[in-house]
Amino acid sequence: MRLADREQDGIVILEPKGKIMGGPDATLLHDKLYEYIDQGKKKVVVDLSKVDWMNSTGLGILISGYTTLRNNEGILKLANVTDKIQSLLTITKLVSVFEAFDSIEDAVASFK
Amino acid sequence: MDRPRIIGDTMIVPSDQEYLADIDAFLEATLRGFGVDESIIADIAISVSELVNNAMLHGNKSAADKSVTIKLLRENSSVKITISDQGAGFDPDSIEDPLAEENLMKEIGRGIFIVRSLMDSVDIEAATTGTTVTIAKAF
Repeated sequence: MRLADREQDGIVILEPKGKIMGGPDATLLHDKLYEYIDQGKKKVVVDLSKVDWMNSTGLGILISGYTTLRNNEGILKLANVTDKIQSLLTITKLVSVFEAFDSIEDAVASFK
Repeated sequence: MDRPRIIGDTMIVPSDQEYLADIDAFLEATLRGFGVDESIIADIAISVSELVNNAMLHGNKSAADKSVTIKLLRENSSVKITISDQGAGFDPDSIEDPLAEENLMKEIGRGIFIVRSLMDSVDIEAATTGTTVTIAKAF
């Protein structure tokens, strides 16, 4: 997995690419997410358009970030959820937890 | 053992998550060789990654001298995969329901549930000498 990150209008955008299966790849996403949270960032969008698939480790990272941000009056949102990941969110009932948008632009606009 | 070994359609890997990508590459190449559809390959890859993570972390507890064995077998139009560790075993009935309200926001505990959702069958044989999980999927 590779990871790109940037800020747009004060909103952190994380763009993982590849497969989130655990081990060092998952640590990369977790650490980058918490690097921004530790900087006091409260608005995060995770763009999943380039993620081939993820397993429960990836879901756990998203939940961890979501919970930590929510406890600090922030929020984590998803953009471009692929069919494969949408299926996982549905069977685990996490689809009811995360706000998901069809594009990064829509996700960013939702914070305004 | 200090390096992964591949013998036919079997891979033996040290308990180190550094090798997850190598396992996935071996798995997906073998499944393509079996003629498995790409959408089904992803479901199998997700499932195997869950079970290998469990085997390394919870079964072998990341012990350097213990390994995980992944064995693939094509049976007509289905694939059967066994993932074995050398840990102390566990009680499959002790796995909590990840859909329960009190568990929904937990960061861990969904692996086996996801595997059961994606595969046609899941068989867990847990013994004090190790756990073997066998999954099967038609393609």
